[in-house]
Amino acid sequence: MKKRLIFSFVLLACLLLLFIAVSIMAGSVDIPIDELIRIFSGTSGDDTASAIVLKIRVPRTLAAAVLGGALALSGYMLQTYFHNPIAGPFVLGISSGARLTVALALIASAGGALKMNSAVMVISAFAGALLSMLAVLLMSSRIRSMSLLVVCGVMIGYICTAITDIVVNFANDSDIVNLHDWAVGTFSGIKSDGLMVCAAVVFAALAAVFMLSKPINAYRLGEGYAVDMGVNIRAVRIAMIVLSSLLSGCVAAFAGPVSFVGIAVPFLVKMLLGTAKPIVMIPACFLGGGVFCIISDMIARTVTAPSELGISTVTAVLGAPVVLIIMLRKNKDRENA
Amino acid sequence: MLEIKNLCAGYNGKEIAHDISFTVSGGEIFTLIGRNGSGKSTLLKTLAGQLPPISGGIYIDGTSKEDMSRNDFAKQVSAMLTDRPKTDMMTCREVTETGRYPYTGTFGLLGKADKKAVEEAMRLTDTTELADRFFAEISDGQKQRVMLARAVCREPKILLLDEPTSFLDIHYKLTFLEMLDKLRRERDIAVVMSMHETELAGRISDRVMLIRDGICTGTGAPEGLLDKRTLTEHFGLTEELYDKYM
Repeated sequence: MKKRLIFSFVLLACLLLLFIAVSIMAGSVDIPIDELIRIFSGTSGDDTASAIVLKIRVPRTLAAAVLGGALALSGYMLQTYFHNPIAGPFVLGISSGARLTVALALIASAGGALKMNSAVMVISAFAGALLSMLAVLLMSSRIRSMSLLVVCGVMIGYICTAITDIVVNFANDSDIVNLHDWAVGTFSGIKSDGLMVCAAVVFAALAAVFMLSKPINAYRLGEGYAVDMGVNIRAVRIAMIVLSSLLSGCVAAFAGPVSFVGIAVPFLVKMLLGTAKPIVMIPACFLGGGVFCIISDMIARTVTAPSELGISTVTAVLGAPVVLIIMLRKNKDRENA
Repeated sequence: MLEIKNLCAGYNGKEIAHDISFTVSGGEIFTLIGRNGSGKSTLLKTLAGQLPPISGGIYIDGTSKEDMSRNDFAKQVSAMLTDRPKTDMMTCREVTETGRYPYTGTFGLLGKADKKAVEEAMRLTDTTELADRFFAEISDGQKQRVMLARAVCREPKILLLDEPTSFLDIHYKLTFLEMLDKLRRERDIAVVMSMHETELAGRISDRVMLIRDGICTGTGAPEGLLDKRTLTEHFGLTEELYDKYM
């Protein structure tokens, strides 16, 4: 057990470092490793290569790592909260809600009504995520069936996406050039100042979630048992909702919609670890989400280069089959029970 | 040890159990007997802190539950409920270990004393061999024993059990009761439980309480209460039915 955990963490960390390096080197201009070392040590004579690496690829890769981790963690918490392995920020419509409010904020800023910066982005995304989450919660109090809840979440997602599309279309002729790209989903729009803000938010949230690993472990058995263990169930539920909304909101603000990472990664990580203990799942999901998104981002920008695929196109291809596997497995379990 | 004073319990302000009072001392088994919907589970849930009492008081060694922190209360009272625990990829040992929760620190890691208590509880409930198996994969009877180990490893003063024997076959029913009997003798635990099998309840309990439509209709030694006349009336049975099957 211990050996497997150590192996898993070493594996995840190595994969993360490996793919960060590969992602920085690979692209429309390939940068060999000796050049990369020269760029980082500041002795490179090639200004173009240096600019590509430091201004574009490094922030983009790190953003994919941080935001991927945030998504996986947000998904893990939602699954724990709803006791449902196919809950996630995307399928429950939480990402889409965040996108809608960010789009509105962007348009308000284009119209001069609001001064846009990273903090405003995060706050508006958080508000949107929280609103969608509350809508889902309101429905979950009336719906017993978990699959029905997911269907409702998907519907909320569609509604938010439709409104976002309309809003973005109206904005097309204004001066927001990036809005369209962002609406499709991409890690390309993040500059180093934005990266700092989202890293600060995400790491703070990660630390908070980690501190909650004890009550989350109690909550896992079900509410009644958590109360039996002396857990303040209301406080834990609120903390979980706020933190998962903050994490998925942050992703929606900086990268737009990124699908299925929140469901696929926690499942794959759980299989790797052979346990679902929060105290190991939380850091492992974060690392795993980073690896998953860096790989997806690399595929998105290299397969059809020089044009780019939307990040969701790639994560859906990689992640949706995992979701199908989870559902089939769950069905099998029920038959056996 | 446990004292219940004029307790009214229910959901969302709707009162289901009315004006219940009783005391249970250490080493004593106290059993609630009544039909489905009579208020037994509501009462046990309220004692376990899962439902706020509508009125009345719950006291442990003279201290009101309201004056205790959640954690302190959890240290003294552990409950085994009818809800199925959700145990995604948890081994039986992990499920049992959750019983030590109130004693663990910030990250919920178990210390030496916690681990020892877990081992002991598993030995007592005969679940040691199940320790590394996934909880989802064992039989219902084994699950029940693991859940008892979970409740017991906390070393509580009071154990609350809601229909602990309902899903067990005769073999497990009897071994379960034997375990319970050993526990209360060795650890001086006060047990409050609900049970449908009047025959068995009569054997194991020191005292029983008959509860009907949320009202206590009698408390005392089982010999005086579980006779034909009382039971036919209590369960709404005709004498004919009683004679034929009971």
